[in-house]
Amino acid sequence: MEKIKNSIKNMDNSIKTLWLMVIIVLVIMLILDAANFFTFQNLRSMVFQFPEFGIMAFGMMICMISGGIDLSLVGIANLSGIICVEIVLNLNGSIGFVPSAVLGYAAALAVGALCGLFNGFMIGYLKIPAMLVTLCGLELFKGLGEAITTGPALTGLPDAYKLLGNGDFFSIPFVIIPFLIVVIAVSFIMRSTVYGQQVYFMGTNNEAARYSGINCFKTTELTYMISGILGGVCGIIITSHFNSAKSDYGTSYTLLTLLIVVLGGLNPDGGKGKVSGVLLAIILLQLISNAFSILQLDSSLKQLVYGALLIGSLLVNIMRERVALKRETRLAAAKE
Amino acid sequence: MKNKKTKAILTSNQMIIVYIMIVLSVLIGTKNSAFFDFSTVITLCRVALVTLIFALAEMLVIVSGGIDVSFPAIACLTLYLPVFLETKIWKIDNVVLIFVLAVVFGLAIGAFNAWMISIMGIPPLIATLGTSSIINGALMATTSGKEISNLPASMDALYSSYFFTYTAPSGMTYSLSVLFIVPVIFIILTALLLRKTMLGRGIFAIGGDRNAAKVAGFNVRKIQFFVYMAVGAMTGIAGVCSCILARTAHPTNLMGSEMMVIAAVVVGGTRITGGHGTVIGTVLGVFLIALIENNLIMMGVPTYWQSFVVGLVIVLGTSITSLRAKKIAQSAKV
Amino acid sequence: MEGIKKSFGGVHALRGVNLEVKKGEIHCLAGENGCGKSTLIKVISGAHDADEGKMWIDGKEVSKLKPIDAIHMGIQVIYQDFAVFPNMTVAENIAMNHELMTGAKIMDWKQAHALAKEAMDEVGADIDPDILLERLSIANKQLVAICRAIINDAKLLILDEPTTALTSKEVDKLWEILQNLKKKGIAIMIVNHKLDEIYQIADTLTIMRNGKYISHGAIGEYDRARFIHDMTGRDFVETKYSPAPSDEVIFEVEHLSRKHAFHDVSFQMKKGDVLGITGLLGSGRGEIGDALFGIAPAEEGTIKLNGKEIQIRSIDDAMKNGIAYVPEDRLTQGLFLERSILDNTMAASIKKYFMKGKLNYGKMEEATDAWIQKIGVVTPSSKPPIKTLSGGNQQKVVIAKWLNTDPRLLILNGPTVGVDIGAKYDIHAMLHELAEKGVGIIIISDDLSELVQNCNQMIVMQHGIVKGHLSNSVSEDELSSALSASGVPAKEAAAQ
Repeated sequence: MEKIKNSIKNMDNSIKTLWLMVIIVLVIMLILDAANFFTFQNLRSMVFQFPEFGIMAFGMMICMISGGIDLSLVGIANLSGIICVEIVLNLNGSIGFVPSAVLGYAAALAVGALCGLFNGFMIGYLKIPAMLVTLCGLELFKGLGEAITTGPALTGLPDAYKLLGNGDFFSIPFVIIPFLIVVIAVSFIMRSTVYGQQVYFMGTNNEAARYSGINCFKTTELTYMISGILGGVCGIIITSHFNSAKSDYGTSYTLLTLLIVVLGGLNPDGGKGKVSGVLLAIILLQLISNAFSILQLDSSLKQLVYGALLIGSLLVNIMRERVALKRETRLAAAKE
Repeated sequence: MKNKKTKAILTSNQMIIVYIMIVLSVLIGTKNSAFFDFSTVITLCRVALVTLIFALAEMLVIVSGGIDVSFPAIACLTLYLPVFLETKIWKIDNVVLIFVLAVVFGLAIGAFNAWMISIMGIPPLIATLGTSSIINGALMATTSGKEISNLPASMDALYSSYFFTYTAPSGMTYSLSVLFIVPVIFIILTALLLRKTMLGRGIFAIGGDRNAAKVAGFNVRKIQFFVYMAVGAMTGIAGVCSCILARTAHPTNLMGSEMMVIAAVVVGGTRITGGHGTVIGTVLGVFLIALIENNLIMMGVPTYWQSFVVGLVIVLGTSITSLRAKKIAQSAKV
Repeated sequence: MEGIKKSFGGVHALRGVNLEVKKGEIHCLAGENGCGKSTLIKVISGAHDADEGKMWIDGKEVSKLKPIDAIHMGIQVIYQDFAVFPNMTVAENIAMNHELMTGAKIMDWKQAHALAKEAMDEVGADIDPDILLERLSIANKQLVAICRAIINDAKLLILDEPTTALTSKEVDKLWEILQNLKKKGIAIMIVNHKLDEIYQIADTLTIMRNGKYISHGAIGEYDRARFIHDMTGRDFVETKYSPAPSDEVIFEVEHLSRKHAFHDVSFQMKKGDVLGITGLLGSGRGEIGDALFGIAPAEEGTIKLNGKEIQIRSIDDAMKNGIAYVPEDRLTQGLFLERSILDNTMAASIKKYFMKGKLNYGKMEEATDAWIQKIGVVTPSSKPPIKTLSGGNQQKVVIAKWLNTDPRLLILNGPTVGVDIGAKYDIHAMLHELAEKGVGIIIISDDLSELVQNCNQMIVMQHGIVKGHLSNSVSEDELSSALSASGVPAKEAAAQ
């Protein structure tokens, strides 16, 4: 018991809040519609949904820790998805599904990396603020996607393509695999590689990082490239989920991923953030989203709730900091 | 000295936009001679009307060092709610009241934004993104996207009021709506505000160096509240204008226009980091984007390439503005 | 002011300060960096409120002052960063305070121009009033700030470290302007820590140390010894660093040049040498450090480390060759304030700890703990954020960060600025030890006593060229005069 009490005390404030919110949602659903919510079926359907925005959130996370932001991820995902689907559609007949899918997947990742490279160049070399670059990037990538599809969704994919996003293995959805791989990979990269630590340093103090021998341009490029690749992975999953490709799937994910990282304890100015926080936030948001559908609430109310949560969580953080500062000042004055 | 000044003006951001517009006009005109007609000017004015108001408001925010992406949502709310109240609840017909309500709602939301940003210290992008989502979600949930197409007669009356009507050689008539006076008034007011009043200089001050502004004696809080509330009021009016011109009150049509507006502002020479910007530049930026958007087809660009081309223009425009700023920062000092 | 106390969230910035400035008097507020001078000024100007204590302006008691109120009462502050607006013109910047003070709602551009011209005439400046401030040099920016301050019938003019960016000629000009203002009955307070300048200009002074008021009085009541004693809390002890002589040349630089920075710089360092590079700002002293560390590489000349010629084109090159650099501005360039002591210590040498496919945190902790012991940082562990440490301890960690990279040449720019006397002593001792082991140490500094006591060789830079090589047989006064003789303007010399 003591051990549990201690570990709760030592937890980050934002993680504490997240657990609290998770418990609140679970309790509310317990009261309102336990029968439909707490079923294996429902759990399974949730697992089908969160990987596509969850992986995006990790891309957003790395960029934010580096002191920037990546608002173009939805555009990258759709563009990569479109290219992947184009390849599969065109080559499926000649070389078979599996080779064309492999090529398609590879192309999606490459496109993601290229988009990220573009973002990273504008931000790291031209020093244009990340918010502006990635907002522009969103338009650009979406526009490119639109140009390739000429508007309507690309359909006509072989059934096998659906498998990744909609299939399962002994009731465990396939999509959980790329998700888990990403979680482990990002976790490892941020904690145990030289690059990961450099991202934290750069996000904390860009100038000091430079003076400490960190190549900020290379680090920035790598950061947005990784984010772009993660966007590419999402593109693959999303197009598999819908069995088609379009330039504007998942537009609500931009707000959602921003909300996830903020709830997950990331500081918008950079330098802070852990995978565990983001993971918990992803789960929380999935629970909320799922609660909405179970309770058959209007999905646009979700947007309202997300917006309110975004503002609310930051307000709570700021008030908490102010109270802490006041307390410290009072203590110090009393000491005198 | 005179030569240096003339050279500076000729290579300024504003003139570059003018050059581009001239080049584009020539390009379009050679493909479609109907372009070189007064009707084009009228069409451009009509298309740019609402964007002009948005852009002027957004320019104020960006110059002050902040940003506001909630303005499309505010406009949606201010165009829908007053019309809803008048046609469904109060059953009256008063276009002045519509405008007044729009301004009031806009001011209220602007004040909320200002509170979050100035007093609570939430980053402007996130704060206004939150506001935008809340409004949009609420509107969608309550209206399910259904528009009110029976506008009060007084609004329709404004739609049908023109300054003048022009008949092109082709026989088609083009009219300039009286509503065009609104952006014109705002252009004059904004220019005067920024150039001639201490409040306006204060906006530049906090955009240039917020701390310096504070110690110089500026009331930073007051200025920030003014800016975000001005955005609210201006977009409120813009929303109603857009509704009148579209002859229908659609609760979510204007969503998604943030990028275009911010692009026009940045292309016009306003630095995203704050402290720099001109009314002329913004107006030119709006017209350039309108020119491009409206005439892509005439330039031979298929519709599905349009998003990409506009995106490219935005990227180029913002790169140029940022590069210029970088060059100045690194150049030899006097 | 009396008994002013001010705390920031647990950090006591001011603990009971008393201060008095009279009309037509130049009063100097002296104290080492970090003693609380800046905070005191912010309280006087209304930017901060004091937690305790009283303040009187013109005999009237004031409290809860807002910046605009202070300005109305005649208090004008010229901050170290000038607090000017880079995006506005010279004329507007100068007229700004006046406009704000008169509560004008309308901006009168004609009047702004007239005011600007008037102020510039009085000050003797000649700057294009329509040019944007971001295009001006630092010295000119300061002139604009001064013009702005005098436009407003200031009663109390406060200048915070006004001479840091000025050449000696500009400093003389500044004193002239201040003397003129003094005759008009304006009270002037200068925050400064440079002994010689204080003797040049002050009538009376107040000395602060660690946030406390120490003493005050007329300048005549202070001789060097008392001054240093009050400022540092220690008596002036004259020690000099004299290493064992050696013939081994460990570092050599020949005809190093970079346009507009420095020209034809050559020197040699033997084992055991601690080389001091000094000169007024703009003399090239800082720029040589930047060139050797690859921040702003040299364009001509050769660099030889341990006999081998090396190319330094980037920070990466410098670090690969074992060159380390402790930067001037600890807060913005050296520290990651929110991160732990461990992170800060390891920041430049993370690559070393990537073993068996991942970072070895265990070894990093061991190394940090070892450094904490060795350099004498006061902290319970390496986990707390570095911002909890004092300035002196923070600087020790910055140095440890570089020592952890096993450097062969360590360059330090202003190593003991804002560092308490105990830490200063420790740092100097560390540097001597390293030098004797064969690590080249270069100290770039404007602290004359630091240079004379710790460097056995010194280079005096002026206008980009080496004006003199001195050994530490010189006294501080001799060094001071070597520094201040005027010469040819920098651009001309460096372009030759």
